[in-house]
Amino acid sequence: MSSNIIEISNLSKYYGRSRGIEDVSLNVGQGEFFGFIGPNGAGKSTTIRILLNLIFPSSGSARIFGLDVLRDSKKIRGRLGYVPSDANLYDKMKVREFLSFGAAFYGRNKSEDRIQELAGILDLNLERRITDLSTGNKKKVNIIQALVHRPELLILDEPTSGLDPLIQSKLFGLLTEENKRGTTVFFSSHILSEVQALCRRVAIVKEGRIVKSDEIAVLREKQLKKVRVLFTDTGTGLQHDFKIPGMESFHRESQRSIVFMFSGDINELVHCLSGRSIENLSIEEPPLEEIFLHYYQ
Amino acid sequence: MINIILFRMEFRRNVRSLVLWSVIICALIFFTMSLFRSVLQYQQQIMGMMKIVPMAAMKARGFGNITDIFSGLGFYAANNIVYMMLLGSIYSMVLSSNILLKEEYLKTAEYLMSRPISRDEIFASKLAVALLNIVILNLVAGITGFISLIVFRSGDVVIRPFLIITMYTFLLNLFFGALGVIVAVMIRRPRPVTFFCVGLVLVFYFIFTISRISGVSGEFGYVSPFKWVNMDVLKSDFSFEFWRIALFLGLALLLSGLSLMIYRKKDILT
Repeated sequence: MSSNIIEISNLSKYYGRSRGIEDVSLNVGQGEFFGFIGPNGAGKSTTIRILLNLIFPSSGSARIFGLDVLRDSKKIRGRLGYVPSDANLYDKMKVREFLSFGAAFYGRNKSEDRIQELAGILDLNLERRITDLSTGNKKKVNIIQALVHRPELLILDEPTSGLDPLIQSKLFGLLTEENKRGTTVFFSSHILSEVQALCRRVAIVKEGRIVKSDEIAVLREKQLKKVRVLFTDTGTGLQHDFKIPGMESFHRESQRSIVFMFSGDINELVHCLSGRSIENLSIEEPPLEEIFLHYYQ
Repeated sequence: MINIILFRMEFRRNVRSLVLWSVIICALIFFTMSLFRSVLQYQQQIMGMMKIVPMAAMKARGFGNITDIFSGLGFYAANNIVYMMLLGSIYSMVLSSNILLKEEYLKTAEYLMSRPISRDEIFASKLAVALLNIVILNLVAGITGFISLIVFRSGDVVIRPFLIITMYTFLLNLFFGALGVIVAVMIRRPRPVTFFCVGLVLVFYFIFTISRISGVSGEFGYVSPFKWVNMDVLKSDFSFEFWRIALFLGLALLLSGLSLMIYRKKDILT
């Protein structure tokens, strides 16, 4: 069992009366590639901002590398790299100057080779002024500044926004490589396919709360099933006489056909259906999109 | 406490504004002082004009008495109120409020604060840059003032009262600098506060001018920090007064300390 790099316990944040996050708890193990997924406004960035001590929690606590995020913030930040979702850079600097400036905080004055290497991979011109860069190129600068000091933990908040598919793929390659080297990755996104492609474990955030946290494979294979039943006549499939624990998202496709998500005991389902006249029955693993939509709704 | 990497970057970031303000203020000082010879030359005509110009207008322009205008130091001190006390204070307050706040409203705070640097270090480094800029502006303006006094003098230049008024000017600028810092840390939703700072200094200046014109020397005028400065540079008892120095330094330290305490707990919302 790997030790935890991030430990969040009952973390809540309110902005006045409005909700930021509520009672968020999760752990991220060493070397994990962890997905943090939820729609916009769900509380992903709020959680990350607390981890970086940009904002203060209303209650609860969080630790990174076993250190308290409030008390030992500077020490923690010395060992992590962060790609913000929507942050500006010092516009008047040239890219190379900016990246060297950032690296100097980590005591890495000789980071030139690494900057050059990362700029080569992401196809970024180091001699341009930041103010002249497109949104996508600014994102590349943000990614490089997070990687240049070879951090033990990478926190990425919507890192692909503004990047074209080719660069996205190069970024995924870079992140996978860093992860193989031992870097723990905390990947926040609202784009399911990204999380699906990269992460082994995921937490789903909805309206400030974590509604599910598990391995992607487990979410997909073991828990939720999509059940479609086609009855031979219209009288037997109505919802009011067809209730089993674990049945959710019930939908009547036609007078004879129903569809629902099922997370209960499969034997109970079979037992319940056995007394009815059925023309067709399918029980399948739903696509990941449907699993997430199920939790979002 | 001061992070040298941030200090250097921040100083470079502000140097253009410092040069611009220094050049403008020094040019104003030098140009105005160059008029002093003409004032002396047309002393009789000016005295005649003074009979129809209300004394209130003279006081509003910084002259305590009609005869102040014919003394090099009196002439300099009256202009110093506008150029260095007013403009210098505007510069100090705008600089020190923006130096912290711009990281938030320009959305660079998230980048800076994800570096291994504590909030105390950010605060100290940025305030050190603001202090250095205020010192440089005051030094440059003071040297320009002294040179222009020598160049356009009518008699001996008395150094001591000149140094005293220069020191008071610096302390006033320092106070407004500290006021700018506390304004910056108290703003919850980050946005530029330049207009607010300029307005606040002008309101204090207006209160001070009104109190000077109307001769009100009581509580009302002391609402304004301008009133805390002894501007009677030609009076024989004009000297360093410890309570004024202590008041300005004490308030600047108090405001800076309070600002640091607030900044340590501030949510950085961008």
